[in-house]
Amino acid sequence: MKHMDDILASIHDIPPFPQVVVKAMEIISNPNYLVNDLLGVIRLDQSITANILKLCNSAYFGLPRKVSSLKEAVVYLGTVQLRQVLLASGVKDIYDRPDKGYSYFDGELWQHAIACALMAQILFRHLRLPLEENSIFTAALLHDVGKVVLSTYVSREFADIERLVKEENLPFHDAERQVLGFDHAEMGGRLAELWEFPEIISVAIRFHHQPEKAPKPHRLLSELIALSDSLVLMLGCGTSVDGLSYTMPHSLVDKLKLKKNDIEILMLKFQEEMSNAREMIEIRDV
Amino acid sequence: MIAQKILRPALLNPFSGNVRMARITIGIADMKVSADPADILTTYCLGSCIGLALYDPVARVGGILHYMLPSDSINPLKGEKNPYMFGSTGIPRLFKACYQLGAEKKRLIIKVAGGGQVLDESGMFNIGKRNYAFLRKILWKNNVMIEAENIGGTMNRTMYLRLSDGQVKVKVSREEMVVL
Repeated sequence: MKHMDDILASIHDIPPFPQVVVKAMEIISNPNYLVNDLLGVIRLDQSITANILKLCNSAYFGLPRKVSSLKEAVVYLGTVQLRQVLLASGVKDIYDRPDKGYSYFDGELWQHAIACALMAQILFRHLRLPLEENSIFTAALLHDVGKVVLSTYVSREFADIERLVKEENLPFHDAERQVLGFDHAEMGGRLAELWEFPEIISVAIRFHHQPEKAPKPHRLLSELIALSDSLVLMLGCGTSVDGLSYTMPHSLVDKLKLKKNDIEILMLKFQEEMSNAREMIEIRDV
Repeated sequence: MIAQKILRPALLNPFSGNVRMARITIGIADMKVSADPADILTTYCLGSCIGLALYDPVARVGGILHYMLPSDSINPLKGEKNPYMFGSTGIPRLFKACYQLGAEKKRLIIKVAGGGQVLDESGMFNIGKRNYAFLRKILWKNNVMIEAENIGGTMNRTMYLRLSDGQVKVKVSREEMVVL
């Protein structure tokens, strides 16, 4: 059994958080930043620039008109949205790394992440949860980032994990823990720590398959991400070899006394917004 | 260790395995029918949703509906706007669309995939099961039977319908390809 930190230590190229994004975030943290300074940094990275434009035009941000240049995007978005777009464009590059174990196709894990962010946003608004929108977005976007690392570095153990899921009907994350000693959620939480995201984010990622175990002060966000993730999986957005083999998280549903109908209505709302956004976030039906 | 990029199977013909070809895709909450024997209808991302395939071997006409929820009774307005979201509004439309292309009810072969669900003992999230139960009920009422199906469990699925002969294949959780 490999120890999680051994794996992390043995990986020479843990996906670094894109430096352009880190730099750009620093710039906009100064309320008097100069737009040209920001543009100068972002333009260094073509893929980030392309991601930003795509994201600006996605359902999540819902801008009233199409944005076609980086400058326009920066001027048009508020600081909060700009921060989110920057983060997402960096996360996209991480998720788009080639993958072995989970057998995601190109871009699929990213599509799942952005779908989860949209679902979390819908739940947050409809259920009026006392959370901060930025944290929700960040946690939703990064929740499966552990899969990126696991996929490549424990690809051999995947057969055992899949066998446990099939033969013993174990939830996928339990099977991961049995074979590896940890699951992709824990690995993701650790990565978020390494990238120095706030504790609420790393906790939400770490407990997104067992939110009832999350430490109390950050439990609500874990519960929200867990529920959003499950609903998105049910709708088939970004499922792979793991399929729907996860335990349905009930804590938030019970807490808010949600009924079947409430869940269905939220799913409809999601589908509507998603279909508007389809081409923008590259959900490729092919 | 550098993993190879996985070629999306969408680029390959699922029936012959090697010839690249164009496909017609049915999205979530969507329906398409065809009378062109060169077409392959495909629907991805069947989690708890249902993929319903109809085929008339004489007229060589077929179609797929991919619906999300059983009944539009939770929101009839949404059912009007996009009838393919629901079984109640989508299923009759799929039959009618096939009839319009020359299919006949008595010849239609019906195959079903999807209806999976997350692990949940409470039954609160058994949308897959309810989607399937709804389909059975509506078909039974209309005196038609399902010929073959691949449903339930925690699997996600992709469904293909080949218009030239009506063969249906289902790809289950990225691995097995099952002929229905």
